[in-house]
Amino acid sequence: MSIKDISREKKDTVNLSRRSFMVGSVKSSLLMAFGASLIPSVLSAKEALETKTFSPNVWFEMDTDGRVTVNIARAEMGQHVGTAIARILADELECDWNKVSIVHVDTDPKWGYMVTGGSWSIFQSYKPMSQAGAAGRQTLINAGAELLGVPPSACEANAGFVVSGSKKVSYGDIVANGNIDKTYTADELGAMPIKPGNKRHLIGLGNEYKALDIPPKTNGTAVYGIDVEVDNMLYARPILPPTRYGSKVTGVDDSEAKGLSGYKGYKVLTDPTGTIEGWVAVLATDYPTAIKAVDKVKVSYNTGKNANASEADIQREGERICRDRNEGTLFVDEGNIRDAQQQAANSIESLYTTATASHFQLEPLNAIAEFKDGKWHIHTGNQWQSLTLPAAAKAAEVPDSDVVIHQYYLGGGFGRRLFGDWVIPTLLTAKAVGQPVKMLFMRPDDTMFDQPRSASTSLFNAYFDGAGKFMGMEHALAAGWPTLAMAPGFMPDGIDGKGKVDPFSASGSDHWYTMEHHRARVVNNKVAQDTFTPGWLRSVGQGWIVWGLESFIDEIAHKTKQNPVDFRLAMLDGKGKQAGKAPESVGGAKRLANTLEILKKKTANVNLGENEGIGYSVTAGQERTMPAWLATAAHVHVDKNTGKITLKKLWVVADAGIIIHPDGAMAQMEGALLWGTSLALFEHNEIKDGYVAKKNLTTYQPLRMADVPDMNIEFIESDEFPVGLGEPGVIGVAPAVGNAVYQAVGVRMRHLPMLANDVKKALTA
Amino acid sequence: MKTMIEFTLNGKKVQTDAAPDTPLVWVIRDEFGLKGTKFGCGVAMCGVCTVHIDGNAIRSCSYPVSLAKGKDVNTIESLNNEHPLQSAWVEEQVPQCGYCQSGQIMQAATLLDKNPTPSDEDIVNHMNGNYCRCMAYTRIKKAIKRAATSSVQYFDPNATSEGENA
Repeated sequence: MSIKDISREKKDTVNLSRRSFMVGSVKSSLLMAFGASLIPSVLSAKEALETKTFSPNVWFEMDTDGRVTVNIARAEMGQHVGTAIARILADELECDWNKVSIVHVDTDPKWGYMVTGGSWSIFQSYKPMSQAGAAGRQTLINAGAELLGVPPSACEANAGFVVSGSKKVSYGDIVANGNIDKTYTADELGAMPIKPGNKRHLIGLGNEYKALDIPPKTNGTAVYGIDVEVDNMLYARPILPPTRYGSKVTGVDDSEAKGLSGYKGYKVLTDPTGTIEGWVAVLATDYPTAIKAVDKVKVSYNTGKNANASEADIQREGERICRDRNEGTLFVDEGNIRDAQQQAANSIESLYTTATASHFQLEPLNAIAEFKDGKWHIHTGNQWQSLTLPAAAKAAEVPDSDVVIHQYYLGGGFGRRLFGDWVIPTLLTAKAVGQPVKMLFMRPDDTMFDQPRSASTSLFNAYFDGAGKFMGMEHALAAGWPTLAMAPGFMPDGIDGKGKVDPFSASGSDHWYTMEHHRARVVNNKVAQDTFTPGWLRSVGQGWIVWGLESFIDEIAHKTKQNPVDFRLAMLDGKGKQAGKAPESVGGAKRLANTLEILKKKTANVNLGENEGIGYSVTAGQERTMPAWLATAAHVHVDKNTGKITLKKLWVVADAGIIIHPDGAMAQMEGALLWGTSLALFEHNEIKDGYVAKKNLTTYQPLRMADVPDMNIEFIESDEFPVGLGEPGVIGVAPAVGNAVYQAVGVRMRHLPMLANDVKKALTA
Repeated sequence: MKTMIEFTLNGKKVQTDAAPDTPLVWVIRDEFGLKGTKFGCGVAMCGVCTVHIDGNAIRSCSYPVSLAKGKDVNTIESLNNEHPLQSAWVEEQVPQCGYCQSGQIMQAATLLDKNPTPSDEDIVNHMNGNYCRCMAYTRIKKAIKRAATSSVQYFDPNATSEGENA
């Protein structure tokens, strides 16, 4: 399956494009639900909702006070997703926003496919939630009209009332008095007109409203996975083996730990899923004792073969496979790159690399596993329950239906909480000890068990004809592949049929520039793959792929003596495959060009001091099927003595269609830009002796408050289909900074992060 | 024989028989059930575990409970949702994932206690050790300024609510 297939799978379930929709009065509430796919027609909406025989997923309900509760199947990890989804619904339902609340649900097959990632939530929820809201409104208008004794056509809905001239009835009274029983077929629901963007009054730019999840996050009452307790639980801390893969426990000596009051022994874990190898879990009645006990338990191992793996090994392999045209598989092949190579009078080549980077989400990994009433109950914050749950079931050796994952707030996701691999050692420990277990990772444990963003290698070749005109580009890109490690079923074939592609390690190389010849070949770096579990880290492949691409585009522009911005604009002509398509990429590359034109004007008169420069980049979000059009500019100063880069200001012009939650979108963009800055200038965690070298914040040093640049963020007013914004802001910062450094002091940086020492070296080379 | 350690937690006298070297954060969270104080790095580098001890912002992950003996320990829960910083945090829509925010607010509170009108530089100097992985830093800064300029400049838990941010 590809990214598109993941989306499609979701559409068939969570997005419910082929499901009926039911509205019915049940016990003084009005329930509104998407039907299971095969609701027999003998049951009315009301009967089906009452009996829940077919487990309809109740998306929202309304009580006799007109209060609306919206069930949210997406994980809350800082994006205020429930608020945005509820707002889309409320806009169409015409209910009173002050009476809307949200609930984050546990896993149940009725919710369909559960994943929160890829910046997909708004993109995938917009249409079904709008249509569900419209269907609910229509039903309430019909019932309200009957109570008012007027025809429905004489009524309209407004802020929780059905109004007809001077008469009105509240939604709450309709729920109290009405006997509603209405089913919309999948076709009827699909045909339900949704308001165009310019008729929306609860969403879109100018609609400022507050996120429902924020107040509990200011007073300590928000409950994260780490805050959960269950009766009779033991605490566990893992002892990690000397390598991520292939180590085996040969002996354990806990004689020193036995003197600790509260120590409850250890378990050597055997994992039927093969996710963990060579793990020992130490148990105690309280967590501080578990922390201490780990230091006193001596474990001996047969050590896995990658115990000496290093970052240099990974980069060496990366360059080798990029240079070997027999490696990997094609992801893009436009025109004929071989002809271009043969006809070229000139060419340039550049190798771009990025260092391994860690998630460092602030809530360390943790879970509770409890076997109760014949089922495994897992308490943890997780982004991709539909991937985690079957793995947990396999570890427990029970059917999927015997596992429930209870959801909590996530103390940072950023991709680390997609595949919940930490659930597996938790569950195995609980199973071995026959008692509920809360496993908590100390920070170094968490960092060693991270799924880091793989080190990456990108080799670019550009070809020019005798007149110096740019003909085309060959791009080879290699890294450890997260999807291969964790969800291999979601990898499509390469276009030459020579192998599978991790779309999250390829997207971005299929850019929106019109080039006569363009080839992108993707290769899995097996040294990385065998050393650690490569992870999906905010903005995933785009974060390292587009860093190389947008830096190299500048190199091509300079080679052809063109202004890098104008060179880009000329290639963003929206022709052929770059024209885009409805609804998600209407306008195509032209919309990207528009953001860059606006940005160019905005930054035309910036005063640059000595050793200062402005660099630009354009990026298009996470994938071609959901482009967020962004132009980014960075204003830097370079200290020529020390090599230190100071990022003074960032500008972004973003076209993401209709902006559902303007303040939330702004917050996502601010955070994403700073992530981009941090990955461009600060974060690196090289592999040393089989693991990332930096285990805690004493040595891993992301951006902090003192490093924050000025930011100028503009969203373009648009009525187009909304696309995701959680990640795209990350992508353009690093290349814009690199391009600015070149403009400032004339050196081309080709490795992330751009550290002062490397800049200094380049300056003196 | 276990020795009991006594201290004041959010205004109440409490006793614990935890080992003297137990980091205070676990006593607060797991023994007394106050989960608003978080655990992040365990080495005082992120600040999510920040509490007030005798009025100073302290990293409770690296503070042995024995040192708390006889002292006043206050956690995010002690603010009772009445601190001007808390309403400023809502007004500025600061939290994203929210995990660090108890620590940020407790850290910021000691700044406003001593310096009711902090400059940008004062804020950065005081807050730079508190890490926010969502990187909501510009809003944290704005919210501190908002709280500083609100009508309530000094937090007094015994005062009656007044002012727009109280």
